Amino acid sequence: MGAVIVYVIVLAFIALRARIAREYEEFSVAKRMLPLALVFGGITATYVGPGFSIGFVDNGFRTGFLFSIVGLAYAIQNISVGLLVAPKLRALQGCYTLGDAIGQKYDRRCQILAGIISVGLCTLFSAVMINAGGKVVLQGMLGLPAWVSVSFLTVVAASYTTFGGLRASVTTDVFHFVLHALFLPPVLLYLLLFHFEGGAKAFFQQAAGATATGFQLTSPLEVVSLVTAFLLGETLIPPYANLTLASKTSRVSRGSFILAGLFSALWFLVMISLGIVARTLVPPDTAKDHVLMDLVKATIPNVGYALLLVTLVSIVLSSLNALLNAGATVLTQDLIRQFTHLPDRVALRTGRGCTILVAGIAAGAAMFVPSVIEGLMFCYSIWAPAILPALVLGLWLPRPRPWAGTLSMTVGTLVAVAFKFPFFSRTGIPPILPALACSLLAYAAGHWAQGIYERAKAWT
Amino acid sequence: MDMILLTIVVLASLLIIASGFWVGVALIRWLSLPRRSGAPVKARRAGGQVQDNPGG
Repeated sequence: MGAVIVYVIVLAFIALRARIAREYEEFSVAKRMLPLALVFGGITATYVGPGFSIGFVDNGFRTGFLFSIVGLAYAIQNISVGLLVAPKLRALQGCYTLGDAIGQKYDRRCQILAGIISVGLCTLFSAVMINAGGKVVLQGMLGLPAWVSVSFLTVVAASYTTFGGLRASVTTDVFHFVLHALFLPPVLLYLLLFHFEGGAKAFFQQAAGATATGFQLTSPLEVVSLVTAFLLGETLIPPYANLTLASKTSRVSRGSFILAGLFSALWFLVMISLGIVARTLVPPDTAKDHVLMDLVKATIPNVGYALLLVTLVSIVLSSLNALLNAGATVLTQDLIRQFTHLPDRVALRTGRGCTILVAGIAAGAAMFVPSVIEGLMFCYSIWAPAILPALVLGLWLPRPRPWAGTLSMTVGTLVAVAFKFPFFSRTGIPPILPALACSLLAYAAGHWAQGIYERAKAWT
Repeated sequence: MDMILLTIVVLASLLIIASGFWVGVALIRWLSLPRRSGAPVKARRAGGQVQDNPGG
């Protein structure tokens, strides 16, 4: 518990150094002044959540390098965003959110629709993170009651995000990135040097055995589903979009995503390797999501366990604060500002109020999230079909048509949600695939229909 | 083959640690910048250089 208190004090010091945001542009996009290292650190700290740390060590323990191979889709996604989408998004003038970009390319109605979807998903993602940090990490490691753990995490993340906005969020995220990078890989090196017996040959044998088991236990449809989720599920979700818009230049946004993609491949390799090393050091029947904690407890003295606790809390907080800031900015910019004129200072105060609102709703919803992975998969299956076709085609087509954007977002969301009901979910098809196909078809139909309508209008 | 796999894993760990240091240094520099960045920062840096190296 002492380690967590010391960590919170250090975090508060860093958040204070980031200073209070005094303008809306500072709160929402950090005045568009972020350099390469900070955008890269921010993106990386946001995506390294409980799933990519605790979850990946667990996957390495059970299925070897299967998830490292599947995870390459995530690296490809980030590099593709860096090459094809991020620079175009950053080049747009006066954008504070992804909704703003969609609004510029289509119309106000599309912006509002994108805003509703984005706020809903940011709140859901936040609920999943609070659940993971509160129930899995704090409750699991310290034995605190669920409501105390959930409230603690929410209050800590919401407090500095409310006052410091994106600048505080990125600064603390980068601090968290440094913690992850300087703690978990050295744990692997320490275990390989001092605890793992048999050297390179034993490591290879453990890896090969576990990977073969992984491929036997996972059906081809499951592999396709996982690859699709890694490839599309988190593409340009609001926290990443906000970091793109906050980059100093288009080159910075491009470079950050490419580096973040390359880093993800290295990170997955190290986390999976920790799981493989754990196969000889913790019992085979270790509970799900407890491999990393049990491994550190068994091999590194008390200081290591305290550092692990702090690292896991920081992993959760770094994802949570980015989601809270993105949710609040989207709520202010894409929804409230579309219906009423807000001067800069009022917009700043509204953004702060929205941070508290999103955090409060997410904390309430966190008590009902069934599991971390299920929650993440639900969010992934909606985001890609709902937003990606409209966003990417909007950025690349010379004259995108609003009907196409509206139809694509509506149909993509509805099909993804429908596939959660038993009638469709019985088919075993991952929702993201049919929803994405329907979203693309709806886009084409909307584009074609508006073209006909416009031509007919021109003749009359 | 055994050694290649282990070498890749060790190199990946070292690269992550190196990126941690790189980003950490960038964070410290970012936090030590004055609030109003841009022209005043350049002016301050230019001023610092002149003081440090009067002959240059």
